[in-house]
Amino acid sequence: MAPDQTNLLQGTLDMMILKSLALAEMHGLGISSRIEQITQGTFQVKPGSLFPALHRMEEEGWLVSHWGESENNRRAKFYRLTNAGRHQLEAEAKRWSRIALAITRTLEAL
Amino acid sequence: MEPHCTGHYPHTRGLMNFPRFASLLRNLFHKQREERELDEEVRASEQLLVDENIHAGMNPQEARRQARLELGGVEQVKEQVREIRAGHLLDALGCDVRYAARTMRRSPAFTTTAVLTLALGIGANTAMFSVVNAVLLRPLPYPDSDRLVQMWSTNPKANRWGMWTAYPRFEDWRRENTVFEEMATARTWVISIKGGDHPESLFGVMTSSQVFQLLRVQPMLGREFLPEEDQPGHDHVILLSYGLWQRRFGSDPAVIGRTVNVGQENYTVIGVMPADFRFSPDLRASYRVDAWFPPAPDPSRNERGSNNYYTFARLKPGVTLAQAQAEMDAINEGLAEKHSEDRELGVKVVGWQRQVGSEVRPALLILLGAISLVLLIACANVANLLLARGAVRQREAALRQALGAGHGRLIRQFMTESMLLAVCGGVAGLLLAYEGLHLFIRLAPDIPRLNETTIDPHVLIFSAVLTLGTGLIFGIAPALQGSRTDLQDSLKESGNRLTSGATRARARNVLVVAEMALALMLLAGAGLLVRSFVRVQQVDPGFNPKNLLTAFVMLPPSKYPEPRRQAQFFYEVMERIASLPGVECAGGADSAPMLTNDTGPVSIEGHPVEPEIQAERPKITPDYFRAMGIPLLRGRTFAWADNEGSLPVAIISESAARQYWPDEDAMGKRVKLEDGSAPVWRQVIGIVGDVRQDSVVEAARPEVYAPLLQAPVPYMALIVRTRTPPAALTAAVRQAVMAVDKDQPLFQVEIMQQVVDDSVAGRRFQMSLLAVFATIALGLAAIGIYGLMSYTVNQRTHEIGIRMALGAKRGEILHLVVRHGMMLAIVGVVLGTVGALLLTRFLSSMLYGVGANDPTTLLSVATLLIGVAALASYIPARRATRVDPMVALRYE
Repeated sequence: MAPDQTNLLQGTLDMMILKSLALAEMHGLGISSRIEQITQGTFQVKPGSLFPALHRMEEEGWLVSHWGESENNRRAKFYRLTNAGRHQLEAEAKRWSRIALAITRTLEAL
Repeated sequence: MEPHCTGHYPHTRGLMNFPRFASLLRNLFHKQREERELDEEVRASEQLLVDENIHAGMNPQEARRQARLELGGVEQVKEQVREIRAGHLLDALGCDVRYAARTMRRSPAFTTTAVLTLALGIGANTAMFSVVNAVLLRPLPYPDSDRLVQMWSTNPKANRWGMWTAYPRFEDWRRENTVFEEMATARTWVISIKGGDHPESLFGVMTSSQVFQLLRVQPMLGREFLPEEDQPGHDHVILLSYGLWQRRFGSDPAVIGRTVNVGQENYTVIGVMPADFRFSPDLRASYRVDAWFPPAPDPSRNERGSNNYYTFARLKPGVTLAQAQAEMDAINEGLAEKHSEDRELGVKVVGWQRQVGSEVRPALLILLGAISLVLLIACANVANLLLARGAVRQREAALRQALGAGHGRLIRQFMTESMLLAVCGGVAGLLLAYEGLHLFIRLAPDIPRLNETTIDPHVLIFSAVLTLGTGLIFGIAPALQGSRTDLQDSLKESGNRLTSGATRARARNVLVVAEMALALMLLAGAGLLVRSFVRVQQVDPGFNPKNLLTAFVMLPPSKYPEPRRQAQFFYEVMERIASLPGVECAGGADSAPMLTNDTGPVSIEGHPVEPEIQAERPKITPDYFRAMGIPLLRGRTFAWADNEGSLPVAIISESAARQYWPDEDAMGKRVKLEDGSAPVWRQVIGIVGDVRQDSVVEAARPEVYAPLLQAPVPYMALIVRTRTPPAALTAAVRQAVMAVDKDQPLFQVEIMQQVVDDSVAGRRFQMSLLAVFATIALGLAAIGIYGLMSYTVNQRTHEIGIRMALGAKRGEILHLVVRHGMMLAIVGVVLGTVGALLLTRFLSSMLYGVGANDPTTLLSVATLLIGVAALASYIPARRATRVDPMVALRYE
């Protein structure tokens, strides 16, 4: 069930979702447009990856969800970070910096 | 990116964490709510997308289309979410099982057929295995029983490998060995007990001391025999069985120390054994023991030539069987030098447990093998049913594939269905086995430890593995076929009528051929056993067992110390019995075929002492031959006048005459019985026919008969030939004996015909069981070929219709279908014959009078199988000829 190793891309997606929820709670599509917005369109998260990720992270206990109203008065499910989620975000961010640094060095060395 | 350059998730390392476990429970138990929420969420998102698109200026229709495209399909997203959920696999399995159960319920006829077929196969296998488990696999019912061994005397020159041992020899073995913790010996001894209103015959066992210590079994009350109680003077002590203690002593605990009269002598009760204690060389359930006592009553206990004791021992820890054998061999060499009686004898040490089952092991394993072939045929049948159904379900499979189910997913679904069938069959089979086992035990002959047969955890594990294996075997082909659906073709096909590809047809043909081959192998085996049994029934045992009543009388030495009085007693008894109404004649012998034997050395005048000649040495009354129906070939029989005062005489059997005087006339020659009774040279005055002593299938041993009055014995088998059914005369015979001495009970009253039948009961049972298995196999194979032909005819209705419309005759259509069936049957029979030729040699030990490759048997079972296959193909073929071309063509 809980994977020992998860590939980098999934980790990255998780991190971006956590990060976009760090400031405020959001509904699913809000998260994907937020990611698109931050990364200036580099990452477009399709619903087919987004919803499974959200449900998985909720099952991990990093997110909680509740029903609310969207900006244009539609019913939508909103997600919020838990404390575990914040820890996870920190851990992911640290890991990412480490990898990014390592890659940068590798590229400079070449 | 490679997995190895990824990091770990801090919160998901190792076991499932708590939130995830909670989710698992939620997913499993609040599935519907979770599903509803998911559906709402995805649909709400879709709506949001639509809103966004409208906001961006699209018209509503276009907005909806774009939203759907971006989302990638509501159902697909939901499925993707479901797949990451905790417990997904479990959930999918649950789904598959429910789906499978629904499918099974939808076609009850198919399901019933398949489950019953499997239940029969699995049940029979389970029952058979539980017998094998109890008889061959389970440890003996004593602590540390793996160190228990039996010790056999052997006589390599006489080709005898399983003789018992003389008591003095046992004492030497026990004294000189260093490899055994304990060694003990035992002999059955029937003896009468007095007191109360009637004398009763006890089934006793004479044992050396320490026997219970060896077995690690404590008496329930009192103590076991002390070492000094082996010795005369101290040996009048007795241990009671629980049954005897209850029956004759009213379960009185104060019985310990009391004196009882056994065999006209006084014994002190020293203990009572527990109710569940059982002990005999091979642990047969039928072996009843009432009491144990030292070998005090045995007149032959000091005779080195009387191999009457069964010896067993417990290995010291760490000593191997080979080490024990080596030491016993060395001891034996020493004994052979000291004692002439031991010169030809060897010794063999064998593991007790292995020995217990050794006699029935081949038969049981063959039966287990046979029944597993039946299960394979059942598997092939069910696989065939599934394949036929697979053809019908092709469209369903294609549809599921179109809806996103992968190849693996379909295999899993089909396998789940097969497994569910197998499990249903397995459970039903277990119930069947439970019932069948009782039947088996009731009908089976006297197999050692058979009464210990139960459905224990080992059997349950066997049954579970068998069930899953069965499901795998019959499920794999249909699953592969079912999942290998070509989407385009299947969806385009208008119905289930077009042939569904050559591979499926080939698989079905192969299965039917395999069924035929397996059935032929079983039929060949059963046929050989049936023919053997017929041969056995035709064997002339050398005497006439019809209308013979037999019973033993055993005179206590204390009351009849003089041989002359013993002989007088039997003379009077014979006279009285012979005059009873309904009795044709009566004889007596101290050993008689099928009842007891007294094999021992004899000497022949003028022959060197070596090699030692062994013969049966019965002491008989004059009318013995007439009563048994043994023909006199030459000379005369004994008369009462052949007594101690007259010339010592003997009568020998045909084979004795041939063996002892191969080139001379045996009449008038002289022999001596080396048994201590009357060691005098006896003149041969007659030659009688051979008798088969041990069973009808074992060759006759030579016999040297002596007249009772010249060699008196204290016990005799009374042989009473009756004119009426023999059982009715039991009371009259008992009264005749008690009229001579009211204290003498009859032992072991038997009907000779029954004894002879019992001696072949094992064969009869094996034959019947294998015949039943083969019949089931034949039935299943017939159903298999019938099913395939019916199916083919259905599939080809259209084609047959066209053929008939084009002018094909009914006979041609008949030929077309039957030829297909015959082709399969013949290929199956050829393969099966090859298999039978390879396998039947394992039956050799169970055959009598037929070769393992008996061509007559093979030919007849092949003919039978082809005949049945022809009939099974003919019925669907007939149906094919009744196809109305118009209807068939319109069917399109």
